[in-house]
Amino acid sequence: MMESLFYIAAVVALSATILALTRANAAHALIYLIVSLLAVAVLFFLLGAPFAAALEILIYAGAIMVLFVFVIMMLNLGEAGEESERKGLHPRNWIIPGIMTALLFMELVYALEQVPALTSGVAVSPKEVGIMLFGPYVLAVELASMLLMAGLVGAYHLGRRFNVRNVGSN
Amino acid sequence: MLNAQVSNTNTTVDDLFARFGEHVFELQPTPDNTPTLWLDRAKLVEVLSHLKPEFPMLLDLFGIDERLREHRHPASSDFTVVYHLLNFSRCEEIRLKVGVAMGDLCVPTTVGVYPNANWYEREAWDMFGVEFSGHPNLRRILLPPTWVGHALRKDHPARATEMEPFSLDDEKQAREMEALTFRPEDWGMQRATEDAEYMFLNLGPNHPSVHGVFRIALQLDGEVVVDSVPDIGYHHRGAEKMGERQSWHSYIPYTDRIDYLGGVMNNMAYVMSVETLAGIKVPDRARVIRIMMAELFRISSHLVFYGTFAQDVGQMSPVFYMFADRERLFGIVEAITGGRMHPAWFRIGGVAQDLPKGWEKLMRDFIDSMPARLDHYQKMAMDNSILKQRTVGIGTYNTQEALDWGVTGPNLRATGMDWDLRRDRPYGGYEQFDFEVPVASNGDSYDRAVVRVEEIRQSLRIIRQCLDNMPEGPYKSEHRLTTPPPKENTLQDIETLIHHFLNVSWGPAIPAGEASVPIEATKGINSYHLVSDGGTTSYRTRIRTPSFPHLQQIPLISRGLMIPDLIAIIASIDFVMADVDR
Amino acid sequence: MSDLGSMYFGLFLLLATIGGAAVLTWFERRLLGIWQDRYGPNRLGPFGIGQVAADMIKLLTKDDWVPPFSDRVVFIFAPTTIVVAMMLGFAVVPFGPDLYVIDLNIGLLFFLGMTSLAVYSVLLAALASNNKYALLGGLRSAAQMISYEVFMGLSLMGVVMLTGSFSMRAIVEAQADLWNFIPQFLGLFTFMIAGIAESHRLPFDLPEAEHELTAGFHTEYGGMKFAMFMLGEYLGLILISCMIVALFFGGWLGPFLPPFVWFCLKTFVVICFFILLRAAIPRPRYDQLMTWGWKYMLPLTLLNVILTGGIALAMKA
Repeated sequence: MMESLFYIAAVVALSATILALTRANAAHALIYLIVSLLAVAVLFFLLGAPFAAALEILIYAGAIMVLFVFVIMMLNLGEAGEESERKGLHPRNWIIPGIMTALLFMELVYALEQVPALTSGVAVSPKEVGIMLFGPYVLAVELASMLLMAGLVGAYHLGRRFNVRNVGSN
Repeated sequence: MLNAQVSNTNTTVDDLFARFGEHVFELQPTPDNTPTLWLDRAKLVEVLSHLKPEFPMLLDLFGIDERLREHRHPASSDFTVVYHLLNFSRCEEIRLKVGVAMGDLCVPTTVGVYPNANWYEREAWDMFGVEFSGHPNLRRILLPPTWVGHALRKDHPARATEMEPFSLDDEKQAREMEALTFRPEDWGMQRATEDAEYMFLNLGPNHPSVHGVFRIALQLDGEVVVDSVPDIGYHHRGAEKMGERQSWHSYIPYTDRIDYLGGVMNNMAYVMSVETLAGIKVPDRARVIRIMMAELFRISSHLVFYGTFAQDVGQMSPVFYMFADRERLFGIVEAITGGRMHPAWFRIGGVAQDLPKGWEKLMRDFIDSMPARLDHYQKMAMDNSILKQRTVGIGTYNTQEALDWGVTGPNLRATGMDWDLRRDRPYGGYEQFDFEVPVASNGDSYDRAVVRVEEIRQSLRIIRQCLDNMPEGPYKSEHRLTTPPPKENTLQDIETLIHHFLNVSWGPAIPAGEASVPIEATKGINSYHLVSDGGTTSYRTRIRTPSFPHLQQIPLISRGLMIPDLIAIIASIDFVMADVDR
Repeated sequence: MSDLGSMYFGLFLLLATIGGAAVLTWFERRLLGIWQDRYGPNRLGPFGIGQVAADMIKLLTKDDWVPPFSDRVVFIFAPTTIVVAMMLGFAVVPFGPDLYVIDLNIGLLFFLGMTSLAVYSVLLAALASNNKYALLGGLRSAAQMISYEVFMGLSLMGVVMLTGSFSMRAIVEAQADLWNFIPQFLGLFTFMIAGIAESHRLPFDLPEAEHELTAGFHTEYGGMKFAMFMLGEYLGLILISCMIVALFFGGWLGPFLPPFVWFCLKTFVVICFFILLRAAIPRPRYDQLMTWGWKYMLPLTLLNVILTGGIALAMKA
């Protein structure tokens, strides 16, 4: 039962990702990407990592993708954008990324053959995740948060400069 | 009082004579004693520039088609353009008239002197085809761009029955659709700059917050209004043209529908002009009744403003309370006049009927209950911090800008200008009343509301004085032009019968002349400039409404703000489109 | 609860919440009517309750119109998202000690995830409508949701710290001695504001803002698809009220009456409070709302987290 659920979710995730890549309309591509993220969240849940699943939905699907949609709305691409996107999706442009992806895929298959089980199959509760994050991995957490802080400051700085120029031109 | 005024205005005229020479002008006597000077168009801009410091406001600018007029002034030509100026410190007016002949319909623009001349000149061009050389944007304003002819000319049909039956073939439809296409360039707006591409948003003519059929084309950067261009005329019904067909008496109901929230306030401006032309003196009781009803409608109009103002900044409830109050107020109006929003109850020479039995109780109950309710609304709406955040400092203009753009009424007083026609040049009996003129200081959206809220209280005060001191006596004048004429003796003697018969069937024949009586209407200065050619209808009816110039300055005060601010500004200006488009 | 039992309860919940949302449309109008000196719908049936059925018939029989300039599939798909997401959110609400669909150990996070997915309904509707007013509404919505989700999650962390679990049942049971609204009054305040913003009801209905954007994101919607948005909004209102009760007001806890009744009573009071807010408060401007969120609410929630954490540590020591 659980296994079949897993495979259904995996198929959804894969096909949604492929569809996301091949859509000319940016909005449609984003919707497929969101579906793909949700499917991955289900996978996490089934693998016994509910906390990761919740974060996947909350952060990726719920917040980051909203920003993407926001940007698409701001840009107001329309027909012209779709046309240029269609050109970008010409089969010729797929050759090199296709080869690279194939290589990676083969590596992955080989690795899966070597290592018998990648997950323990035991559910990890949020509490344990927290203890791990603020125990052995506290340095990594702090480093990541500093990186995010730097990103935030940088974004603020860039945005501010843009605004100043705008006011000046008025 | 009247003499003093005449001698005062003479100083202005004397000054002009001394400055430019007496031969430049021709003085036209008018029944309303407003100095009216004819001059040549070559001198116009110079004279207006000279007058501007003393007469800071261009109250009105309009055309007259003189071609069919019998009693016309010797200095006149085929068309006349009238400039009506207003001085505040002495409360006097002056009219300048320029005559232009058919085939050479051109007058220099005065936009450089009075900015609000812009729309007025467009209107004069739209209606009469008078060109204003140097005008920045001389397009039609009230009529659609595809209209053929100039509607207020005497040779333009007034009714559909005078024209070919209307038909809409494919070609015409295509033409009309083409005229509706929005091209930002035509409206004086840029599509994009290096930094950003602008979005153009069509706000109206059907939008919940534009209070009628009003359209603003917005140039947006995100939600910030870069520029806006108001587009009016969707509510134009040709009220001025109708005035030329209706008898003096039967035009009264049309006036109700100009500022449709003002009810009898519109009648007041109209009948006072007619009475000035006819030389009718209105008895005291009628004068007090008129003031009482007019103030009642001022409250009604301000209540609508109050509620919709709160509603437009997103507060849901106040409008229901205020409409409930207005409903009670209409109950009183109905008991007295029989009508509600548009009673058409004032008559030339008085009012339609005497007050009914028991009116005092109704009125007293209402004005006794209102102050407490107003206190409640103050707490609920005006003191609300979010409402303040939304309106304080939004849509600000100072007194000078207000004068330049022809802003009158509460919107002018919100800038700190302590000036009210009712107090400073009392008309119709206001000199006998004791009231204050509320003034605010910042000229922003919030202050415009503050002034109106206080005006409600002052109007209640005036009504209380009417109630306590209602004089006895007739409710209409004995004058022979009073309409409808007295009927008591019609069955006794033939003269009265004939007089009654003629006066009712044809309407009164008002002596030839021109007059306008500006009044402090609910939204600002309202006046009817009436030209009589001695007949039973008006030769030209010009309606000066306060809302028209108020809308013109929206772009000026909304630049750089956001859409919600624009909505707050629109709400705070308090206009009705019928008042703008007429 | 057995699997079968929770499935039946899930079905019951599905019907009850949709029915509740429908009745709520009528109830809100009556309540607003009382507060605003008027009647509200009072003609059909006792107290006008038949209005619910009449509205439903009207909405169901309306022309199911999709504007030709819209993105057809997305346009139809958008309104269903909000209903589905909100319905799923109900799965973790504990209506009683044994009355829930599922008791996840990440229950609270699940709820937050579902409300954050509900945003897509508004965004996709705005995007698919191909209408400028809708677009402006969508932009507002995206900015508002992201800003308010940040501290919506953070405002609940105090509660989680006190309980030591994300499980909704554990949170309610931990309130047996003291309801959370006393120690977590800051959390309650911020969560309530974020909750109104999330369900975009007046005073935070900026994506819709009738007076500014005509109808904002659902300008092009009518008939049943519009009804889905309304249903979603009311489901959101009920869901947020349920969460407030479960997180801060002791959920089903209470003397004498059965737990489920207590839960419903409390939720009802919270809903009335939300309707009162709608009747009383004007709508702030978009940038004011953002300023409020980032400059006042976010620091407030952080302060709450720090204080709660500090006190919890001190108590333990």
